[in-house]
Amino acid sequence: MQRGDSLNSPFVPFSPNPSIQQGTPTSTPPLKHTLSSSTSSNLRYSSSRKSIYDRHLNRSQRSELSKASFAFLFGEMVQYAQKRVNGIADLEKKLNLHGYSIGQRLLELLLWREGRSAKRETRILGILQFITTTVYRSIFNKPADGLEKSRDNEDEYMLIDNDPMVNSYISVPKEMSQLNCAAFVAGIIEAVLDGCLFPGRVTAHSVPTEQLPAKTVFLIKFDESVIERESVLG
Amino acid sequence: MVILSLLILNKAGGLIFQRDFNEGLKKLSSNDYLVLAGTFHGVHAITSRISPVRNSGGGLEVLESDRFRMQCFQTLTGTKFLIFAEPNQPNIDVVVKRVYELYADYVMKNPFYQIEMPIRCEAFERNLVAYIKPK
Amino acid sequence: MTIYSFYIFDRHCECIYVKQWHQRDRTFRPTSSSASTVDSPVALASDRHSSTSSKLQNEVHPSSRGGRLSVQDDAKLVFGVVFSLRNMVRKLSGPDDSFISYRTGSYKLHYYETATNLKFVLLTDVKMNNLKVVLHQIYVNLYVEFGEFFSIEHPGGEGVAVELFEMGLDSFIRTIQD
Repeated sequence: MQRGDSLNSPFVPFSPNPSIQQGTPTSTPPLKHTLSSSTSSNLRYSSSRKSIYDRHLNRSQRSELSKASFAFLFGEMVQYAQKRVNGIADLEKKLNLHGYSIGQRLLELLLWREGRSAKRETRILGILQFITTTVYRSIFNKPADGLEKSRDNEDEYMLIDNDPMVNSYISVPKEMSQLNCAAFVAGIIEAVLDGCLFPGRVTAHSVPTEQLPAKTVFLIKFDESVIERESVLG
Repeated sequence: MVILSLLILNKAGGLIFQRDFNEGLKKLSSNDYLVLAGTFHGVHAITSRISPVRNSGGGLEVLESDRFRMQCFQTLTGTKFLIFAEPNQPNIDVVVKRVYELYADYVMKNPFYQIEMPIRCEAFERNLVAYIKPK
Repeated sequence: MTIYSFYIFDRHCECIYVKQWHQRDRTFRPTSSSASTVDSPVALASDRHSSTSSKLQNEVHPSSRGGRLSVQDDAKLVFGVVFSLRNMVRKLSGPDDSFISYRTGSYKLHYYETATNLKFVLLTDVKMNNLKVVLHQIYVNLYVEFGEFFSIEHPGGEGVAVELFEMGLDSFIRTIQD
């Protein structure tokens, strides 16, 4: 059994911050004839020698995932992050980071799927609408429940979700009541914004009400540059 | 549907959840409930041992008394759900299944819950109360 | 509708009577003669009168049970279960409540306690309904008449009374089973 070397692995070390990306993109590796070599690379080949990169991108467009599977995976993600941090703010940052890498890929996929009718969003309202409908619908199969602009600050907007799916089975203990695991979704939103050149910070805050005990607000705070550009555009 | 109370025991017989929903059983101290749980765990083990039918493998499932009826559901992992209800209450099986479902959802999928420890999941209790005692 | 075994425990927590029917692993064959029905009537006296045990039959068939518990151990376990459950029920719902029966996947245990703290226990199959009345009848008709001689206060008068009791019990149980 041969040990894998860099030729076999098609992966580029990916980091959320594009400025520190290392490595070079590689082409699809040549087809292997022996099964033993499949253990040396992380890529799985089916019996017809096709890998995941040979699938059509629209294949998973209408597929569904069991909520229970996701809940267990997400729970493990939270536990994993919890072991490596000390403090609630750090835990939220870690979850944000997990969501960030997903958001980057999701943005590319969604824009590719829009095809020729895709429009590059240049206005704040446009990109927020895109997130509220398209992005949310592709992940959760329903649009977000509300979009508001903050009255106090020019650069703050709020996206409202009455019942974030990722939080549906999670009960945060009282001593960590500030934690909202929807920081994961906040990371996704932040990545989509960054990818469309609207840099900012997104945080998740729980605002429980009588009827909606799980209501969450995603606070989106744009950078100075975005607000300036927005005012220039008129 | 009148359920008097619910107890959940972990694999080792320790009490991990106890809640009264309706009047009917006496109120005991938390220590009493712990002792009760441990006793029941032992009794359950013995009842499968004294079975006159060979290779039965089942423990106590239903306990009847004058004032209440208790159903014990043991999962494949050894967790026991004890439901106390009124003596002529039908369909306790349905209730047990639903409680197990709520447990699998709101306790098992909660990353902040440690297995075999006392259950302190707010979502679990909220949904339980909404199901058993809707106002 | 099978009856597996029957126990009586006195208020000193001793088992004073055990009767087991071996239909556990086979189907019950209702026959009239006593030879073919594989009964093993075992009457136990308290340990203090072990010297008189020669009068009593003490048949245990470990081979037919294949490595299971002996009758005495069985009786002790049954008593333990019954005692613990009775205390649990008392604790949960007050001193005047009493546990009636419990059911497992394979058998059902019926329990009746008299005012003198005498405990009657019957193990049957799962489909039997509440046999508390039956146990009460056994107490009233059979035990009160013939069974007092089981207690340790009357070691001497066992011979005749035991047989009468057993005959009565046997016929009574058979009428239930049919």
